[in-house]
Amino acid sequence: MSNYPSRRQALFGATLTFAAIWTTLSLPSAATAQTTLSWSPKVLTQAQAQVLEVAVELIMPATDTPGAREAGVARFIDRAMGNFYDPGQVKTMRDGLDRMQTDAQAAYGTSFTALDERRQIELLTRYDAEATRLPLTHFFALIRQATTVGFFTSETGATRTLRYDPFPGEYRGCVPLKEIGRAWAT
Amino acid sequence: MANLNTRARKTNTYDAIVVGSGIAGGWAAKELTEKGLKTLVLERGPMVRHLEDYPTATMNPWETKYPGGKLPAAEMKAHYPVQARTGYTMTEYTQHFFVKDDEHPYTETQRFDWIRGYHVGGRSLLWARQTYRHSPMDFEANAREGVGVDWPIRYRDLAPWYDYVERFIGVSGQAEGLAHLPDGQFQPPMEMNCVEKDLKARVEANIPDRRITIGRAAHLTAPTEEQLAQGRGKCQNRNLCIRGCPFGAYFSSNSSTLPAVERTGNLTLRPGSIVTSLILDEKKGKATGVRVLDEASGQEIEFYADVVFLCASTLNTAWIMLNSTSTRFPNGFGNDSDQVGRNVMDHHLGVGAQAEAPGYEDKYYSGRRPNGIYVPRFRNLGDKASARTDYLRGFGYQGGAGRPGWERTLNVPGFGADRKAALSQPGPWMVRLGGFGEILPYADNRMTLNTALKDKHGLPTLTFNVSLRENEIAMRKDMRLAAMEMLDAAGFKNVVGADQGYGPGLGIHEMGTARMGRDPKTSVLNAHNQVHACKNVYITDGAAMTSASCVNPSLTYMALTARAVDHAVSSRRRGEL
Repeated sequence: MSNYPSRRQALFGATLTFAAIWTTLSLPSAATAQTTLSWSPKVLTQAQAQVLEVAVELIMPATDTPGAREAGVARFIDRAMGNFYDPGQVKTMRDGLDRMQTDAQAAYGTSFTALDERRQIELLTRYDAEATRLPLTHFFALIRQATTVGFFTSETGATRTLRYDPFPGEYRGCVPLKEIGRAWAT
Repeated sequence: MANLNTRARKTNTYDAIVVGSGIAGGWAAKELTEKGLKTLVLERGPMVRHLEDYPTATMNPWETKYPGGKLPAAEMKAHYPVQARTGYTMTEYTQHFFVKDDEHPYTETQRFDWIRGYHVGGRSLLWARQTYRHSPMDFEANAREGVGVDWPIRYRDLAPWYDYVERFIGVSGQAEGLAHLPDGQFQPPMEMNCVEKDLKARVEANIPDRRITIGRAAHLTAPTEEQLAQGRGKCQNRNLCIRGCPFGAYFSSNSSTLPAVERTGNLTLRPGSIVTSLILDEKKGKATGVRVLDEASGQEIEFYADVVFLCASTLNTAWIMLNSTSTRFPNGFGNDSDQVGRNVMDHHLGVGAQAEAPGYEDKYYSGRRPNGIYVPRFRNLGDKASARTDYLRGFGYQGGAGRPGWERTLNVPGFGADRKAALSQPGPWMVRLGGFGEILPYADNRMTLNTALKDKHGLPTLTFNVSLRENEIAMRKDMRLAAMEMLDAAGFKNVVGADQGYGPGLGIHEMGTARMGRDPKTSVLNAHNQVHACKNVYITDGAAMTSASCVNPSLTYMALTARAVDHAVSSRRRGEL
């Protein structure tokens, strides 16, 4: 927990620095390894779902704990597009996923999912900057928000990246953070 | 035919009828049946059995149908535009316990937030469980200040009944020895966290008239033999109470009074029974029973009893009275005073302050305490120091300290491993104080029967014309400033005061529509909660309240109910009903 204050600064500063994001490159990642889906999209096209599968893992990657891919977040978002988000939001997200493919083609002559991770991150960094100006309506803001909810309410997100205790029993009002280690999921 | 009618009448006759199965109705049923009366409880909504009918009680976050258990915006708009106004009650976890607004229309001359659940147990299943006694000052204030009418009882009349109710329901809390917030029969208090303890120490040192205590809440922290025997257990600190408690650890009709009642063998509980009016025997001047619209069949059925307890909740109790017209009561049952439906009160809230508490970054907590801290009223206590010139009465604060979790992070920019790591840590310690202010009784803060707009059963609906007045508006300014003053005094940073606005009803503490009083000309109920003009009808829910105090009212409804049943049963025994 020694690096906790810097994490907090990152969290409450206006944006994460580019360098902070860059460090993800040195971590092993499964983001580009897989392009076939283990699930069948209900709302998204196969191509959109594949882009989303990569994007959620870049947003919430596997680190010392599993990431969004293992948590099934893309499937979660596809389902929410069918039963939760309003049609306008669904269109924004789908158009955004299409745009990611188009942007990848225009810039690098290949699909988003076939790009190496460094190029994928370059594109996401651009979307992140755009989303900062349009936090409620930009496709990347919507996908990032859905990814965050999907991940932290998933079983792996709640129990491994966070801590989850359905039946705490006692309430202890003042415990060293070290003892708990992570934020409570609920 | 006559024979048939006689038989039907016999089948449908009980010693007592209780209308409503919420916090007051459950108590009426318990006391009546335990005293040997064959009692019929009529509940308009469906059955909710303790444990069996809490479908979301142990649901995990990953088991929801919708992201985060939120309901889709289109569904909220179509079915829950009013229920959604609290901002916290309507979720996938709770929606089965709240009415669909489109099925239960009403009219708002001015904004009125009617938050309700129609089912066995009513809002006793959903309440915030904060449990405080009205004080001697609360019962005397109207008379002293010439506001509304005088309560026909005093604190000493209710004190033994507060004791009695508290022992049964189980209230955790800390005795403080304050005249204006009387102590009760407490189970061990819940624990404050480090920032709350710090707040308490610094505020009490720097502002001598302030006291901070742990919330007094109807959760078992040390269950008694009696409570254990009822199948109730100790609070497990899940803070998912609103879904129904699998441990029966907080008090509700479902977990506590109704199971106790069933054991007596004297109870008939009839869900799906919408009471539409009281039946009056004009010659005897007594109610003989009630008319029920049977939800399933659409048929009207009459039920008869020696004594009727109306505990249908403040607004629906008054609705039943206004809908019960006769030659004797052309303006509604027992409404000689024209006070039925008037003096609508609530607690006004949504104003206070919050701050960030630095210095505890390495501290956290475990368990989710279903309770907060409480700041007892400190204004207008009868001494010079606390007297205000700008408003009457006062307010308390409910609040607490905690570290927000991942929900704070939805719009945090960036992506990747560092963001994930940051979001996996708790946020900064935040402290919040939210005021609960007393609303005075105003005759023209009123609900009326609307025969032009009918509900799906063809029954008249309600129209509300209720607003805050100068006294409450002046109080709200002080509620914001005094909260900021306390957080400043504690040395916390980024202190922000806010008035987020309030619609009457949002406190979900509706009161006053059939008030108690000494004079039948100006009140509806006497000192024993009997309708002045019809002594075998008792009203013991929030409708009976003559003034609101600033403390949460449910305990007072329960105490009034137990006391009124005691009166009813002994009067009946003496042949006086």
